[in-house]
Amino acid sequence: MKKLFHLATVLALAAGVLSIPVAAQGEPVRVAEFLAECPISHRLPDDPIVLPNLPGASHSHDFFGNHSTDARSTQQSLEGQTGNCNPVADISSYWVPTLYRNNTAIAPTGVTFYYLGEGVNNPAAIQPMPYGLKIVAGNAKATGDADSIARWSCLHAGHVNPSKNFVECPSGTMLETYLDFPQCWNGRDLDSSDHKSHLSYPVAGGCPSTHPVAVPKLRMVLRYPVSGSPAGLRLASGTGQTMHGDFFNVWPRSEMERRVRNCINVVLKCDHAGNHG
Amino acid sequence: MTVLLLAGLLAACQQAPPEPQAPPPAQQNGYGATERAFVELSIATDEQALKLVDLTGRAELRQNRATELVELRKLLDAPFVNNHAGHDMPGMPTDAEIELAATSPDALNQFVHNHLTESLEVLRSAGSAITHPPTAEVVKLMERHRTAELAAG
Repeated sequence: MKKLFHLATVLALAAGVLSIPVAAQGEPVRVAEFLAECPISHRLPDDPIVLPNLPGASHSHDFFGNHSTDARSTQQSLEGQTGNCNPVADISSYWVPTLYRNNTAIAPTGVTFYYLGEGVNNPAAIQPMPYGLKIVAGNAKATGDADSIARWSCLHAGHVNPSKNFVECPSGTMLETYLDFPQCWNGRDLDSSDHKSHLSYPVAGGCPSTHPVAVPKLRMVLRYPVSGSPAGLRLASGTGQTMHGDFFNVWPRSEMERRVRNCINVVLKCDHAGNHG
Repeated sequence: MTVLLLAGLLAACQQAPPEPQAPPPAQQNGYGATERAFVELSIATDEQALKLVDLTGRAELRQNRATELVELRKLLDAPFVNNHAGHDMPGMPTDAEIELAATSPDALNQFVHNHLTESLEVLRSAGSAITHPPTAEVVKLMERHRTAELAAG
């Protein structure tokens, strides 16, 4: 706390001298956030949540994080393996349907998983995600905008309105997609028959009584080296509206707990190592 | 008394939530998550395949898919939900492929061949993963059908 005060004071003084906004400087940012960046690890027609033990039975997925993820993955098989996330401590598995232009697969070149405290009014009460949690977000069966929560936009082209389907990004910019996972857990189940209903989204800043345990909101942000006409773009699950993401939590418990305590509960933006400024 | 006991139990549960649980593993040789996933996927695949094979003059293709659908639906333990509609699944013809097949005999032959070979791969995967005997029997039936259909066509 002392350090925070000291830093804030110095920055405010410096900002005064330089006549620049304080918020632009490096004082601790009051945003409840930690993150993991995990490039593509591998691509397989597998899905250990939706089609367990059935290799080759799924539409194509791009896998991030844990290198070992395949159709037969379990909590036990994933733990102790390595992944490609920054931080290396995160050996969780994340996957999304493969993006194609016509029949050419396109891998995302920027893959960030943010863990956020926003969405609930009391971030101090947020608890770590349970170890071994499996969850699917988004609607792989979406038939249009009405039943989709997908969001497509352009990096460095904010004037292009976001859409639930692919958008046309100007040359020199990148197609990006955001997906927010539900952040209210029923406190009991690591999975459910539809792989969704053990978590729910908050209502009016709070978790509903059926799903009373607030956990960090996982926000997946993918950036693809794609611009120009969206004609010919498709996901392995269909249109852009069918974007969905799967998450299998094998963050070491202590690493997740430390970040929730140091970043989420106290509403501070943390770096990859889970430290704040 | 029972109500009081239940209320007490509920209160105890609220105070000390149990450790989070994964769904209980299927009993050995039971109808578990893999069987359920296979059956739902196969119904979705065969329903879509029917639209494709209807375009061919091969009655056995239609009959075999229809027979499989009857056997697969007997295995369901909950109302069928198609989790794979519109997806590019191995062995499942897409709507675009079916439209093209309706206008091109070459495309039709190719897509029927792809349906059979790709779904045979899925069945081989299922054959080594599925332990529930009635589901395993349907896997074998579907493999026999496709092997014969490929040999005939």
